[in-house]
Amino acid sequence: MSLKGNRSSIAGHAVVFILLMIFWLLLSGYLDFFHVGSGVLCCGIVTLISGDLVFTEEKSLLRSARIFFRFILYIPLLLMEILYANIDVAYRVLHPSMPIDPGILTIETPFEGDVLRTAFANAMTLTPGTITVDVCGGTFTVHALVLAGGEKDLLETRDIQNHLGAIFEEGA
Amino acid sequence: MLTILAIICILIGLFFMVVGAVGLLRFPDFYTRAHASGKCDTLGEGMMLVGFILYEGMTLISVKLLLLAIFIFISSPTAVHALVHVAYSRGVAPWKKGDERQ
Repeated sequence: MSLKGNRSSIAGHAVVFILLMIFWLLLSGYLDFFHVGSGVLCCGIVTLISGDLVFTEEKSLLRSARIFFRFILYIPLLLMEILYANIDVAYRVLHPSMPIDPGILTIETPFEGDVLRTAFANAMTLTPGTITVDVCGGTFTVHALVLAGGEKDLLETRDIQNHLGAIFEEGA
Repeated sequence: MLTILAIICILIGLFFMVVGAVGLLRFPDFYTRAHASGKCDTLGEGMMLVGFILYEGMTLISVKLLLLAIFIFISSPTAVHALVHVAYSRGVAPWKKGDERQ
């Protein structure tokens, strides 16, 4: 935990501190000396202890910002997928004969980064008829609600896979 | 006008919450129930929070509600994954078509 590291590390700490401070101000809503002062104190301590967790050395600040903004642009697409998946599940729940045929699938991905894998697993849990059961390296074990529609679901998941790969600048 | 939109959003959210509860009762085993509750609850809560934001207008409370919605969209799939992962690693067999209800 040395603050004497290179310049990018100090810039990373500064960005973490500013983000934490914005979060503090949004949640507190008070702008008097006591509340802002205790915010500065708390955010400073948190930045000192865990400021190096957010921006690791191999990723520059600029690249992180680029990934963040591209991810925000991707959110509307994800919301549409989530809405579609929910209508599908609602149909299967409310249909009198309950047309489900569940089973376990495995999906291979070439993903490396932890954040990318987490984003992919979360997206897969929320979208078409699948829940991520296990992640082992780049291999995802998935429980699908409809096994027969697995091909179609898998194709749509691949669509998400390509999008996320492009966002995080990793091959998909 | 905005209030009507808010009410529509809240009603859609309620519909999906009810569907999630019905799915929890109707589906045959642990994994399929996780499907119903995990997906429908996330969208239901999200839609209700969007409704509250529209009702509240541009205030600090709306920002807090938006942060809450983001938190739910990240944490809810993670919680479902944690439950399903533990069940799978402890050997809970998935229900196949034609099996009896568990």
